[in-house]
Amino acid sequence: MCTLRFAAPKILSKQHSFIIFLKNMTVFALLFTLSAIGISETVYLIRKRIALEKPICLIGEDCLTVLTSKYNKIFFVHNDILGLLCYIIISLVAAFLVIEVRPMWLWIISIKVLVGIASIVSLFFTYLQWKIIKAWCFWCLMSATTLWVIGVIILLSAII
Amino acid sequence: MKKASFNILRVGLAITFLWIGILIFKAPEAWGGYLEPWAVNLLPIPLAQAILGTAILDIAIGILLLTDFFVWGAAIVGSLHLVVVLVVSGITEVTVRDIGILAGMLAIMIDALPGNLFTRRIDKI
Repeated sequence: MCTLRFAAPKILSKQHSFIIFLKNMTVFALLFTLSAIGISETVYLIRKRIALEKPICLIGEDCLTVLTSKYNKIFFVHNDILGLLCYIIISLVAAFLVIEVRPMWLWIISIKVLVGIASIVSLFFTYLQWKIIKAWCFWCLMSATTLWVIGVIILLSAII
Repeated sequence: MKKASFNILRVGLAITFLWIGILIFKAPEAWGGYLEPWAVNLLPIPLAQAILGTAILDIAIGILLLTDFFVWGAAIVGSLHLVVVLVVSGITEVTVRDIGILAGMLAIMIDALPGNLFTRRIDKI
């Protein structure tokens, strides 16, 4: 009886830690996948801007209106470059969390803060497109949605 | 290949290669277990080093595919790498997945070869 009593919590504990491991790996995989998609989007926009080419606008025709507006920079840095940096940091942090590079708390806090700020900035840019520029940019909306989904995943992983 | 389908395949394979590279860094000794004993005996360097080298190669291929730089080169190296993986890991339950990834990589390689790019430029003119 004693053996069973002591053995059972051990098994449950192993199962529990395995479930936590699976949950974390799923979250990290999703974060990494979404940030990689973000990197490919922003690299595409940067290359088109440098080559002075019009990006393909999958929905609507207003991409260029938004991308060439006076709101396309923050402190003299193009938004696409800031977006790329943001996605690179998120993907690196997700990779560090998977490989378990210490200090883990620093990566967890930094990803939460970064995604929080980036989500709010994206919300502001979406408002600009809607009310001020009065034109929609497919790539900008896709990037904003990617960040919001990353934010939702981080929020859900903290709740569940 | 249509541009959108090419890019979806390119980004998808990039994520796969990057993620595998990261997972190898997490547990290199576990990934070394996939190698057939005869392949391990052929290695001129320790198994752990070879596996970490593979992780770096996977990540490099992934970065090139993701950023759309030197895609044809990355696709050639990626295809050769996958052929080597298929040979040295033998037939297992995951072989079919590697065949699928190899097929996707070959499709990218054929579409992105400089010869093809040259033809496209002529078409534009």
